[in-house]
Amino acid sequence: MSCLTISDLYDYLEEGLSPERMNETSEHLRSCRRCRRAVEERKLIAEAASSLPPFEVPEDFPERVMSRISRPRVPGSGWLIGLISGSSLLTLISVLLIASGRNALEFFKGASQTFWESAKNAAVFTAKLASLVSIIGRTLRSLLEAGGKSLSVLTSLLHPGVQIFILVLALGILASLFYGLRKKLSIGD
Amino acid sequence: MNEEKDQDLVKRTLRGDKKAFEMIVRKYQQPLLGYVSRMVGQREMALDFTQDIFVKAYASLRTYEPRYKFSTWLFKIASNLVIDHWRKKKIPSFSLSEPLGRDDDGLTLEIPDDEPSVPRTFELAEVRRKVETAMERLPGSLRELFVWRHINELSYEEMAEIKGLPIGTVKNRVFQAKEMIRRLLEETP
Repeated sequence: MSCLTISDLYDYLEEGLSPERMNETSEHLRSCRRCRRAVEERKLIAEAASSLPPFEVPEDFPERVMSRISRPRVPGSGWLIGLISGSSLLTLISVLLIASGRNALEFFKGASQTFWESAKNAAVFTAKLASLVSIIGRTLRSLLEAGGKSLSVLTSLLHPGVQIFILVLALGILASLFYGLRKKLSIGD
Repeated sequence: MNEEKDQDLVKRTLRGDKKAFEMIVRKYQQPLLGYVSRMVGQREMALDFTQDIFVKAYASLRTYEPRYKFSTWLFKIASNLVIDHWRKKKIPSFSLSEPLGRDDDGLTLEIPDDEPSVPRTFELAEVRRKVETAMERLPGSLRELFVWRHINELSYEEMAEIKGLPIGTVKNRVFQAKEMIRRLLEETP
């Protein structure tokens, strides 16, 4: 027998050769120092690799995993939920039909009419509300503009000293009103 | 690993028995952590990854087909997570189905006359340390097979099932990984 190939050598170590080939190889190894040495070296490496110390697992590892898990998913559960929802809807409609004593065509015609009536009413109401909001907005704008103009005319007619006097007087009146009101309502007592 | 017991634990988990799943976690935490640690390098990250594997397994337990070994299914989930991690981190790893070296597989050659005697002078403990270091330098996909073979003690059939490759290809790649480790040990002073 000729010297071993590397593949044969590993097969021999893992006992992956046929019984005849195993015997032949054993026989060869007895007489061939070079192949014997090659087998011994690879055997030592395999032993070392297979006896590496295990990694330490923290004691609470299973608890950590269990705290993260949720119920196993049912494959295709979305499809199942759709089917159940559809069946439930059909059952509800059937119950309504039986309770109303009408046939299916009448029922759907009635439901459709009700839906369109409601939609029409909602549209009319929304249009009226929008026009009311627009009118209120326009009125408020006109009032604010008029107030601004009057104030501007008044300040142009009066002397700045008189304007300051009126401002101080108005603030005084407001303060005394607030103080009086506070006393009357006993706020902060 | 007792397959019958695994199937029973899976059935009980699917019936809502969370204790049964905790037993699965306790049984596989060590082999999975051993594998993941060598794949991602950092202990804390490996612990998180191992948790993720169990969480994913629990969530998709209904998709598990009992005709396959449960441990194989679990390692497949683990392998997919590791590959995703390599992709996200852009860690290079070649496909196991691609040819690796210059002489097709590097394993058909006979043992060379001048093959240096690497580890014979080392003690087993020292070889273990060197193997652990050398493993880190293996390409990811070869390292994965080496770890599965020597640390998780998976069969070639199991590895072929996980990776979806022919047994011959997987076996060849494991032998290549072993030879690479041996060469790396040669280089280590």
